Parts: sequence; structure tokens; C-alpha cells
Amino acid sequence: MTTINSPRATGRRSPHPPFPALRKLFRLTIAAGTTFALAVLLTTLGSLTATRADTGSVANAGVDAGNSPMAVTQNMVNHALQIMANKSLPVRERRRQLREAIENEFDFSEMSRSALGYHWRGLGPDDRSQFTQLFTAFIEDAYLSKIQDYSGQQVRFDGQTPLGQGYTQINTNIVEPGKNPITVNYLLLQKGDTWKIYDVTVDAISIIANYRNQFNRVINEKGFPQLMVDLRAKQQELASLLNG
Amino acid sequence: MLKIISAFLLVAMTVMVAPAFADPAAPPPPGPPGEYAQSYGDPLAPFNEKMFWFNLKLDKFVLHPVASGYAFVLPKPARESVGNFFDNVNFIPRFANNLFQLRMADAGGEVARFGINSTLGVGGLFDVADSWFGLKQHNDDFGLTLGHYGVGQGAYIVWPFLGPSTIRDTVGYATDSAMWPLPYFVPWYVSIPTGAGKAVIEAVNYRSLHLNLFEEVDRYAIDLYGAVQDGYMQRRTAQLKEVSE
Repeated sequence: MTTINSPRATGRRSPHPPFPALRKLFRLTIAAGTTFALAVLLTTLGSLTATRADTGSVANAGVDAGNSPMAVTQNMVNHALQIMANKSLPVRERRRQLREAIENEFDFSEMSRSALGYHWRGLGPDDRSQFTQLFTAFIEDAYLSKIQDYSGQQVRFDGQTPLGQGYTQINTNIVEPGKNPITVNYLLLQKGDTWKIYDVTVDAISIIANYRNQFNRVINEKGFPQLMVDLRAKQQELASLLNG
Repeated sequence: MLKIISAFLLVAMTVMVAPAFADPAAPPPPGPPGEYAQSYGDPLAPFNEKMFWFNLKLDKFVLHPVASGYAFVLPKPARESVGNFFDNVNFIPRFANNLFQLRMADAGGEVARFGINSTLGVGGLFDVADSWFGLKQHNDDFGLTLGHYGVGQGAYIVWPFLGPSTIRDTVGYATDSAMWPLPYFVPWYVSIPTGAGKAVIEAVNYRSLHLNLFEEVDRYAIDLYGAVQDGYMQRRTAQLKEVSE
């Protein structure tokens, strides 16, 4: 940045350059201001491109068809929302239809195995099937009671993230005006020529992993039979909540 | 020195309700099922469980009733503005940690947000940086900075009053608290009561905006302690993944 007129270039040394500290401060302010402006510009640009990417995937979402993981998830979610919105049906009938609509889309045996983690291996076939039956009822009731809170929010499909051979994740957001969206992602695995949901994450928290930690603690502290007692109690609580 | 340490300790003890209720961040893609296997132990479980139930009782008998009364008196938009105000004054750790992790755009965004919200947003009461300029808040803390540079979580620990944390996040929390400027400018007998008051109002205000926080979790939990523990660990893992992308 030295110019021909500067003292260093001419070899002469000016003993007292005017206000050196002030000039330095000024230069610093300019630098900081530029950085700041650049940062603002970058963040604004970043958020703009992000919004554009979002709308793009929403537009694509409707095109998918058939047995693809996106189609499986979309059909299930849309079907469930349709049933919920059909207020002409009695609540009990709506619930029966809902149960039917989600039953075939979830892989409950995979969910049960995964939720028990390494304890699964130590169980006999009777315990396994009893647990699977109970956990299936529990998850269904939990999902139904959750979906009952539904009051017209929009579900936005935001594309999918492949997780490796035979596994994928469908990204969705539950959007409500004036509220932060809730990110709900469906994890699917390939079963023959179709895909089934084996886990759901809500705000990045895997539901099955969360139950795995809970079940692990109960089994280690009180044993498997007590887990069955506790799980049954909770399931009946949810069921009565649904029927009441 | 003693002044700084004591101020810092007390603030650390009182303000920490916030990270327990940290804002949920957008999740990164989780891996295939194998990756979900629980990979954290709980060596401090006996202590943690006692503290967990203590905190739950404290919430049930003090924080929740107080927050409910407060919510009854003050309308929601006003409480949201109070929340915005605290979000705004707490910008230093967010800015610093974005900087530490070399996320320059996010760090700059935090400065811009502070400038905009403090002026146009009437002292931080309104988040106009988001609603007018589309500048989103980028949450960050020193626990994530440590994690970003490879420090492991360490043991899970539940602090009285402050809630779930880990060894790493506790160090991070203490560091972030030390960035609160007041104790460096006013005597301790001003900064300590101010810090304590700020922490209490922040906690009550947050709880008043999330009155069903525990009830929602408890409705579906078989083991509430395990549900909260895993929720904390998963959330922190997700946040770290997000800042490391």
C-alpha cells in the first residue's frame, strides 16, 4: 500500500505523521465495516438460496408415484390427514381407519427388535412376540394420540436423504403460520419391492433410540418382566385417553 | 480475581436453566439403524437421578406454578418480546462461538442481528432482523466449540437447578457464562443479584412459553429419566453435527 510519496519509499523519515492512531482506527473501522457488510450480504444470500431450495423440493414432492419411499410416506401421511379432517365420521370410526392406514406402512417387528437393542438376543421366542405385540399397540396408540392434536397444520415434504443401501430418510416439516416448523423425518428400509417405516425422528431425536435408552434402563434395573408391566400400564393409559 | 470467580460461579449455577431448554435445531440426517446403538454410559447415575427428581419437584412446585401465574398476567406477545430481549442480550457467546468455529457468515449475522434488533427492534424486544431481513439466529455455545475441535461429551451429569448437561457442556456453559460482561464492569454486589434476577426471569419466561414441556414427554415415556437423558444426548449430537457441516 506504500505510495511513491510515502516517507518509507522516499527514504525520508517523517518524525510525526499526523494522527497515526486515529488513521489506524479509521482503517480498522473501514475493515470491520466491510467485513460486517460482507457478512450480512453472505447470510442474506445464504438464506435466500435456502428458501429457493425448499420451494423446489415442495414442487417436486407431488410428482413421485408408486412404491418409492417418498410415495409410501406421502400416501400414508396424506391418507392419515384426510381421515383426521373428515369430521363427518364418528371419532371411533376415524380412529379405526387411521389404525388401518398406518398398520401396513410401519415395520413394527423391526421397531421392536431395535428398541430392545442387545437385550433382544437374550429373549426367548415367546417373550419376543409378546413384546412385539405390546410395543406395536403402544406405538400405534402413541401415534394416534399425537395425531389427534392435529388442527389443520400443513405437512411439507422436503425431499429425501439416502442413508445407504436399502435405507433412506424422508424429510418433512410440520408448518403452522407464526410458529417454528417441527421437523419430522421418516426413516424407511426396503422390504422386497416396497419400503417400510422403521423409525421417526422429531426435531432430530430418534423415537426408537429414545425408547431403547429407556428400555435398557428399566431392564437393567428391574428386569424384563417389569418392563412389560410398565409398558402395558402406559399403553392402557394412552388407549383410555384415546377412548375417553 | 475472587470477585470474578465468585460472580462467575453464581451466574453459572443460576442461569443454566437455559441450555436445558435450548432451542431445537434443525436435525441432520441420521445414519442407518446400527448407528443408533446407545453409546454413552451413565457413571454418575445415582447422583444424577437424585438431581433429576429434585429438579422435577422444583419445577412442579415452584417454576411451573410461578410461570403459569406469570402467563396468566402477561399476554403471550409480551412474553415473546421478553424472550426476544434475552435472546438479544445473550448474543456474545453465540457470536464468539460461531467465530471460534470459523463460521464467519453466522458470526457476522449475529453482529448484524444485534445491531438491527437493538435499534430497529426497540432494544431487542422485536426480532425484526428475522422478520424484515431474514437474518436467522444461529445458536452456538462453547460446548459445541469444544466438540467441534474433537472434545468428547464426557459423562452425562444432571445439575440441580440447571438440568441435564455433560462434563464437556458444563465447561462450555461456564465459559459462555464468563462472557456475560456485567461482572467485569460493576461491583459483585450489583452483578450477582442482577445475574440471579436475570436467570430467574429468563427461566420463568421460557417456562411460561412452554407450559407443557414435561407433560408432553411424560405422556409417552416409560422411564422419564431415560427419556430426558437420551433426548439431551441426541439433541447435542445433532447440534454438533449441524455446526460441523
